[in-house]
Amino acid sequence: MLIIAVIQIVLLTFIATWVMDIVIVEDSREVVDGVETIAFRRELIGDPLLFVLAAIGMSLPLMSKRLRREPVMLLAIQLSIVALLIFVLWPVAQVFVEGFEATGGEGGFSFEQFQRLFSRPMVVRASRNTIWLGVTSATLSTLIGAIVAYTLTLTDIPWKRMLRFLVVLTLVSPPFAVSFAFIMLFGRRGVITFDLLGIRQWSIYGPDGIILVQLISNIPLAVLILMTVFASMNRDLEDAAEDLGAKTFRVLRTITFPLVTPALLTAWLLNFISSISDFGNPMLIGGDFQLLAPQAYIQRVELFDPQLSAALAMLLVVPALFAFGLQHWISNRKSYVTVTGGARTGHVRKLPGWFKWPLFSIVLFLGLFNLLLYGSIFVGAAVKAWGFDYSLTLRNVSGLVIAIDELRNSLFVAIVAGLLGGVIGIILASLVTRRRFAGRGALDFSGTLMYAIPGTVVGIGYIIAFNAAPYLLTGTFFIIIVAYAFRRLPVGLRSGVAAEKQIDPSLEEASLDLGASRPRTFAKITFPLLRTAFLAGVIYIFIRSMTDLSAAIFLSAARTQLFTVRMFNVMVRGTPSEAAAFAALLIVIILLALGLLGKLTGKSFVDLFRIS
Amino acid sequence: MASEVTFATASIRLQNLSKQFKEVLAVDDVTLDVEPGTLVCLLGPSGCGKTTTLRMIAGFEDPTSGQVLIGDEDVTELPPYARPTAMVFQSYALFPHMSIYENIAYGLKARRTPKKEIPGMVQEVMALMELEGQEEKSPAQLSGGQQQRVALARALVIRPKVLLFDEPLSNLDAQLRVRMRGELRDIQHRLGITSVYVTHDQEEAFSIADLVAIMNKGKLTQLGSPIDLYRRPADRFVAEFVGLSNVVPAELVQSNAEGAVIRVLGQEIHSQQPPADPSASISVVLRPEAIGITIGGKGGIPARVRTLAYVGPLLRYTVAVEGDGTVLMVDLSNPRADEFYEEGTDVRVDLPKEVPALLS
Repeated sequence: MLIIAVIQIVLLTFIATWVMDIVIVEDSREVVDGVETIAFRRELIGDPLLFVLAAIGMSLPLMSKRLRREPVMLLAIQLSIVALLIFVLWPVAQVFVEGFEATGGEGGFSFEQFQRLFSRPMVVRASRNTIWLGVTSATLSTLIGAIVAYTLTLTDIPWKRMLRFLVVLTLVSPPFAVSFAFIMLFGRRGVITFDLLGIRQWSIYGPDGIILVQLISNIPLAVLILMTVFASMNRDLEDAAEDLGAKTFRVLRTITFPLVTPALLTAWLLNFISSISDFGNPMLIGGDFQLLAPQAYIQRVELFDPQLSAALAMLLVVPALFAFGLQHWISNRKSYVTVTGGARTGHVRKLPGWFKWPLFSIVLFLGLFNLLLYGSIFVGAAVKAWGFDYSLTLRNVSGLVIAIDELRNSLFVAIVAGLLGGVIGIILASLVTRRRFAGRGALDFSGTLMYAIPGTVVGIGYIIAFNAAPYLLTGTFFIIIVAYAFRRLPVGLRSGVAAEKQIDPSLEEASLDLGASRPRTFAKITFPLLRTAFLAGVIYIFIRSMTDLSAAIFLSAARTQLFTVRMFNVMVRGTPSEAAAFAALLIVIILLALGLLGKLTGKSFVDLFRIS
Repeated sequence: MASEVTFATASIRLQNLSKQFKEVLAVDDVTLDVEPGTLVCLLGPSGCGKTTTLRMIAGFEDPTSGQVLIGDEDVTELPPYARPTAMVFQSYALFPHMSIYENIAYGLKARRTPKKEIPGMVQEVMALMELEGQEEKSPAQLSGGQQQRVALARALVIRPKVLLFDEPLSNLDAQLRVRMRGELRDIQHRLGITSVYVTHDQEEAFSIADLVAIMNKGKLTQLGSPIDLYRRPADRFVAEFVGLSNVVPAELVQSNAEGAVIRVLGQEIHSQQPPADPSASISVVLRPEAIGITIGGKGGIPARVRTLAYVGPLLRYTVAVEGDGTVLMVDLSNPRADEFYEEGTDVRVDLPKEVPALLS
């Protein structure tokens, strides 16, 4: 008991000294007879509220009698609570605090402040455009995704394996590489629009361009979600409908569609979040179409208005959180799709040709289009000047040498963030699935919350929260690593939870029963059995960190430049072929990481992204 | 036979043990003493609290109130790994990423047994369970019965004072189940280790246990030897749960300390025990195998056959008694050719002359 008390006090003191700091500052200065006397006083800096919250977070698990008997578990839970408080809740809250200050209030809240904020035409336009874009993009990508998923799982079209791969190909690229490829093909000097079709008037830049790019980037997510559902659907139901006299379309309308509605909604909401959070694509291809995420960056970095930037970020979080809450609610309700024992699932049905071949053409077109996008990136990297001179050269590839520091930084950050996020995710997953304690729900919620927070908002939140002593972290690798680890924690956590639910709880109980302590049980039983989920989490976070731009653009500093930021600058200012070499290198790195995952766990990249 | 493993076994005492899960009172004030070396079965329908009771002995659940004592030690506050118990799980819970040897050695390593003693102890228990030669296999390579033996070996090797069984045979097919329960009983007898065994299978409980504790809705309803429970069920629930029974209302004719005479379906029969409460309405348990059926003749109660079915070696009838229509279940073992009565046949039913006890 004494040892626990000592550990607790040491820990609390440690956190207190970080969260709060006492500094000695100059108070007054007098010159008497040529002798200067300086008076000092002690001043408390740091936020008392954060300290109070941390203290509450630490004492909550202390109330459990059972946990007091298990100091290691107690410590793990306390540290998780404090870490999530500081690195998830606190930065997000800071966006709201500063966002409200932008409206002229003193941190308080009133509708007047909102009126003032919305009296600016830019804010109104950006908000309206963002919502319009989110709704349009999510609706279209879910619709197309549903058609593609249906065709790939439940019809007897040819080349299914290859098409399945091609259709989800764009999952593994930095999202803005898609807009870059679009510009190469359809831009002002695009190969297809300018050279092939000779179009001079039309421009890809603007809302049409963003929607097209987002469709290509977001359809794979919808396809993955819906393919799982179609594959696990009870086929007997459709057969029964047909047996009772329903024709193809009636079966679709009255049976298939109602059964997959919850999954359609989930895909829609996740695509909505992804669309409104998108930063890189609008920056590259958006033209003068104003959106919240890019405007939040522009206001802060180019127009030096950090408060307006925070206000825009705040406006962006609200619909994202709403969509996330709705998605959570849907997925927690009972699903129709659950298959009961003995039912046949995922049987391919023979469809009439007039129905099958149009579906096949849609999927084939999408697959070939993705191939074209990727192909043009690699071709672009290998030629002298895309659009003008197609003779082969190694100059673009060797030109990558200038970014060798950025590449090293990015790899370092992504590997450490992957490991950190993977470890925290697996520990958290084990805590929330296997233990009952006060605050478990809150822990699970904060661990998943970041899924709904756009990268831009994470970047702005971290900049505000960790910009001054005693929380000064800006400009360090630490802040980027922590931001990435916690931003992608939800995926590590969810994949850990899913894996943990597959494990018979009596395995862990048997270990405890045979005399192994909790930490030993975790190390010898739980962790080895969760190894695949852990590696998948690590590699997922690695890839997402390697390809992130929206948070990186705020958090990377001169000393900590990241590869994607450099690549983005080259895309904006350099030649297409130079930029294509950057994108091609990133795609190769991602493919290598996925190959490693396959070798270590036997999982394909499709499995990996299904967990998100 | 390998040298016998020896055990320092201990008694178990559950004192006013209760467990509340949110709305549900899963275990309700259970008090139970288990003498060293005996095997007690907790028997009851699903949701009766038997598994929760077992898990409180192991330390997986904290009791809401009450105590668990093993020997003289109060272990209520101890975590599972500090208790001298070892459990055999329903799913066996063999660690899938470890070999059979590693599975069995796991508890010894966790308890920091000196390294050089471990192989000998593992070999000894593997010999006891007839698992020689399986050391390097993985659990998935073994049959259900072998996995069961490994689970028991893994529990025995740490020399627990108390063995706990959580429906250990429910994953085996019917034949193997009967053979394994014989083996379990044999091992438990030879080692003389105090054991608590949870099952919902009456036959299994009766064939393996020294004492059976019947649980219903969280309460311990009756504790006794199998024969006690069968002959003198404390209430209707026990009577029906421990075997197929006809529970029929009866009328008290007379009673004294030695017994009672009652009237059932118009016939007078003797009870070896007087009713607990002579003023209350009473009923009597008529076991199907204690009732006879004849055709023709004058004795017995007139009735009509409603159904007949072959149940293993038995011929099972249901008959409706003429008049009040009471339906009785009657089992004829080893029936003669002239004892097959078609549905609708008028027969006469003979009640037993004597019953062991009454329900009130």
